Amino acid sequence: MFRKKKIVFLLLLPGLLGLLAFYVVPFFGGIYFSVMDGTFENQFVGIDNYVRVFQNRMFQLGLKNTWTLSLMCAPTIWLLSFLLAAMLKTLKERSTTFRNLLLLPYLMPSSAMLLIWLIMFDYGGVWNRLAVALGYERVLWLEGSALRFPIVLLYVWKNLGFSMVLFSSALSAVHPSLYEYASLEGAGWWTQAFRITLPQVWPTAFLVFVLAWVNAFKIFKEVYFIGGSYPAEEIYTLQHYMNNKFSRLEYQDVTSAAYMFELGVMVLFAMMYLSKAVRSPSES
Amino acid sequence: MNDRKKRGRRQVRPGRESRIGFSGGISYVLLLCLCLLIMVPILFTFLYSFFPRGEMEAYLKLRGNYDKSVWLDILYAPSQVSLRQYYKILIENPTYLKLFCNSAMYTGMILLGQAAVIPLTAYALSRFIFRGRDTLFFLILILMILPFQVTMAPSVIMLKWMGLLDTVWAVVLPSCFSPFYIFLLRQFMVTLPNELLEAGMVDGVGPIRGFVHVVLPVCRPILGAALALSFADNWNMVEQPLVYLSGKPDLQPLSVMFNQISTDSADVAFAGAALYILPALFVYMFFQEDIVEGIQLSELK
Repeated sequence: MFRKKKIVFLLLLPGLLGLLAFYVVPFFGGIYFSVMDGTFENQFVGIDNYVRVFQNRMFQLGLKNTWTLSLMCAPTIWLLSFLLAAMLKTLKERSTTFRNLLLLPYLMPSSAMLLIWLIMFDYGGVWNRLAVALGYERVLWLEGSALRFPIVLLYVWKNLGFSMVLFSSALSAVHPSLYEYASLEGAGWWTQAFRITLPQVWPTAFLVFVLAWVNAFKIFKEVYFIGGSYPAEEIYTLQHYMNNKFSRLEYQDVTSAAYMFELGVMVLFAMMYLSKAVRSPSES
Repeated sequence: MNDRKKRGRRQVRPGRESRIGFSGGISYVLLLCLCLLIMVPILFTFLYSFFPRGEMEAYLKLRGNYDKSVWLDILYAPSQVSLRQYYKILIENPTYLKLFCNSAMYTGMILLGQAAVIPLTAYALSRFIFRGRDTLFFLILILMILPFQVTMAPSVIMLKWMGLLDTVWAVVLPSCFSPFYIFLLRQFMVTLPNELLEAGMVDGVGPIRGFVHVVLPVCRPILGAALALSFADNWNMVEQPLVYLSGKPDLQPLSVMFNQISTDSADVAFAGAALYILPALFVYMFFQEDIVEGIQLSELK
């Protein structure tokens, strides 16, 4: 550790300037736009913009869909990646190939994978073959609310590996002697899982969950590839609403929408943070 | 520090310890199936890229048929292996190649920018003690969990005011300071033992030389991991160019325009997709171990 070295501020300078210019200042500056009316006189209108945007049907639709899609993706990825990491751990050193293969989709560009996805989810495609083989009717995967399934699947397929690596590293960091000692004391598999593994992994699990959720808001990408700028109502996300507002230069609406969305996200993360603090009081 | 050493060491002890038992056997089979399933879309994309143009175009036209008695065939082998479609997108028609170069340019510029800024910031945040350090780190954590939708709107106004909107810089500059990678590198650097730098300090090595000659070489795994993850992000970026470059279709990267290409010229769509995947595949092959190792050695809590 270096103490009282003035050079640290020189090292920090480029990074801080960039963060200030492209993240912090815009974030607070945007508040100004959200409370002005944006006309030639540019008067202060308080929360009028917020009220108007909140009552807009497309905003409500976009907000609802964004939350729905992220609610489908984030917990799925979280649970599946934990299960996979646990399975990989039972394989010991034989797990390397599997782990690396599971990570491969993370680097694949989603637009390149889209074609094969459209073929798989076609009315006569593999998924409907499977459905018929299992005794169900064919589904129109590429229309209406069924469209959510291919989108979520593409997203999960792509992002599962990264969360799994995070969980894997947390699991491998649990000291083996803890388990040995527990077995000596006569603790069974369940006791070990809930008294040793879970508390040890919990802080990482929290991080994985937060990252998975923040990234799940980026599912716009997959939606855009399948549905374009004006997709079906079931998959119209907040980002579509904002992009369309941008093209009409309605900055007041876009910023108000962004801050209202952020409020919801912050409430969610604050709740999760509190749950983490309750679970592991010894962690910061 | 003892703990760290144990984690870092690869456990390659044959014999009793490597036996995986019954539950391991089940996991093995399940994981094998899952990995095969996960590989299917990638393998088929490459396979389909070698189909002759006519055959592929005809096949893709069969999609969207709502007749219940008709199935879309699964093609396993082309009637003849063809490279004509690769020739078309690489030499005959430069549209694809131009977009590909745009993508490469953005990714390269962002990676260079990140390499210049992020390790330094992470180093300052992890190996120095100064007032306000923890507050600063907390701020970066908050920035990290801001969804893109939230930062985007104010950023556009800011970039417009700076005169950068609709230029290459609008896409490149904000990404160069991505808080997530500062966090990732910082979490790795805090785990480095103090002795590492102290040994150098006795010999009169200052903070800068310590950074270049001691810290950077040790950080090899996390640097590789960050590079690969950032590459994956930027090679696939859609939101930023779509919003920041909305007025400039010729500056768009391949990630945004690929959809358009594949609908316009279905015959070369798979060849385009395969070429598009290829750089990502190389990055993956070079850095797969780094991603795992870098994350394993970081303090991710």
